[in-house]
Amino acid sequence: MTFAVEFQDVSRHFGDIRAVDHVDLQIAEGTFFAMLGPSGSGKTTCLRLISGFDQPSSGHIRIFDTPSEGVPPNRRQVNTVFQDYALFPHMNVRDNVAYGLMVRGDGKAHRHQQAEEMLSLVKLDGFGDRKPAQLSGGQRQRVALARALVNRPRVLLLDEPLGALDLKLREQMQEELKSLQQRLGITFVFVTHDQGEALSMADSLAVFNEGRIVQVGPPQEIYEKPRTRFVADFVGSSNVFDPQITIRFANVARWSSLRPETVSLTPAPDATGVLARGHVRSTRYLGSSIRVTVDVGGADITAQHPASAPVPQPGAEVGLTWATDALHLMDQD
Amino acid sequence: MRSDRSGASLTLKCAAIGGLLFLHLPILLIFLYAFTTEERSYQFPPPGLTLQWFAVTWNRADVWTALSLSLKVATVSTAIALVMGTLCAAAMVRTRFFGREVISLLVILPIALPGIITGISLRSAFNLAEIPYSTFTIILGHATFCIVVVYNNAVARFRRLSGSMIEASLDLGANSFQTFRYVILPNIGTALLASGMLAFALSFDEVIVTTFTAGQQSTLPIWMLNELVRPRQRPVTNVVAMIVVLVTFVPILAAYYLTRGGEDTAGHGK
Repeated sequence: MTFAVEFQDVSRHFGDIRAVDHVDLQIAEGTFFAMLGPSGSGKTTCLRLISGFDQPSSGHIRIFDTPSEGVPPNRRQVNTVFQDYALFPHMNVRDNVAYGLMVRGDGKAHRHQQAEEMLSLVKLDGFGDRKPAQLSGGQRQRVALARALVNRPRVLLLDEPLGALDLKLREQMQEELKSLQQRLGITFVFVTHDQGEALSMADSLAVFNEGRIVQVGPPQEIYEKPRTRFVADFVGSSNVFDPQITIRFANVARWSSLRPETVSLTPAPDATGVLARGHVRSTRYLGSSIRVTVDVGGADITAQHPASAPVPQPGAEVGLTWATDALHLMDQD
Repeated sequence: MRSDRSGASLTLKCAAIGGLLFLHLPILLIFLYAFTTEERSYQFPPPGLTLQWFAVTWNRADVWTALSLSLKVATVSTAIALVMGTLCAAAMVRTRFFGREVISLLVILPIALPGIITGISLRSAFNLAEIPYSTFTIILGHATFCIVVVYNNAVARFRRLSGSMIEASLDLGANSFQTFRYVILPNIGTALLASGMLAFALSFDEVIVTTFTAGQQSTLPIWMLNELVRPRQRPVTNVVAMIVVLVTFVPILAAYYLTRGGEDTAGHGK
């Protein structure tokens, strides 16, 4: 099978720093792929290795089964939407979008027609004559997107493109990006440190930590079956138990993860089916629900409690229950 | 709010006018004596006014030789400075390497050093390397400080140029030349033009470094210096001085307007 992008044991070291450390990765053609990780985890470096702005210290990268060694950025069928958009301030929006065609030598009429088409794709019809400085952040984001798509890349790289937008706009752009990707059918590789964004948009995602990929898989699998405690912690929030605590609930001395929404709270600690009991330490109101943290002796367990139900007071004794398969066993790292 | 604003302003006005007169009256006097009928001394007021010195100047071959040498030196050293200064600025802004700050300081040093030091060191260097004094050595001497002017302006403008803009251009399929032509140059163009004009003006009236690096040739300022000690057709010097003022004033003024207006053309990454 041909992959859009394939990493074969790729490392990128900057002096002593292993920015990318023995990464193997396959990105299937036509998928929306997210690279998720905290800052400095190597995800942006991976993106730059694909775009060609950085070269691996060792290993190989293949783009559509073609080795990418020695292929400069301007000859890869890959385009990038930059984090700061990197629009050309001295050109109007139309010339910005048509830039890729202009340097290729396409005629003016064709260039402008293509640029207008791309602008309408990102819902910016009629903005061609404006300068980037006259646009809002969200509009600049769309121009950057149109500019990257005008060359009809086979892979589109997006480097934290929504980072500078406010929450409402970000959610709107998430949906638009997703539907754009489905309509165009090209591979999107999306770098983000926002786990919510990665989960909601990606068909498949890779979780990065300290230059390595900790886990790759569809969002649901990553969320429900985190392979290590780092993934459990970083993707969503979770109760992570060390082996000494796990053994109390599951009879195995391994690390485990329990998602708060799988835990329910009962005011009667002696009721049947209660797996742990303890005193309420704190509560946190989240609007649609309340997070209740319970000290069960040696560990805290956070449960997600419906906001409509009566909230136990701190100090109250409560019981906790969960389905036995909700406790997910995992590796330390 | 100060209530004594109007009271202080009269004194301030006088001081300001006094300062301006102090700065510019001598220049006006030079202009005035370009028209005097007395050719041996500067007596005030001039005994009469005439335009004959313009014609005399026009017909003096030594003025033309000096002027053409000055123009040649200024043009070539500005051209060298534009290329080297821009490249140097680009390297300094785009990369981090060991000794970067030291190199940056070394580039700026020629303008901070007294011209006499630059002059002496260049002269000894030329002697050591056995390079005969010529137009070439004058150009080299001038290029040392012209580069600084270009470098300083270019660095400031490069800093405002978002680094990912260059990457975006390459990413979209442009080669290095196209990136320079369509992205970098439009954004640093006005800074280069302005610094080029400044460099030209600096080179055009440079005396000290030129004294040490020129052989038998005279640039226009050197020619003027020599002319002052010779009491022959004195107003010719004034005519030339007036032309020099006008020739250097225009590019400096243009440079000022260009860099001022350039603020909204570059930068703003987001």
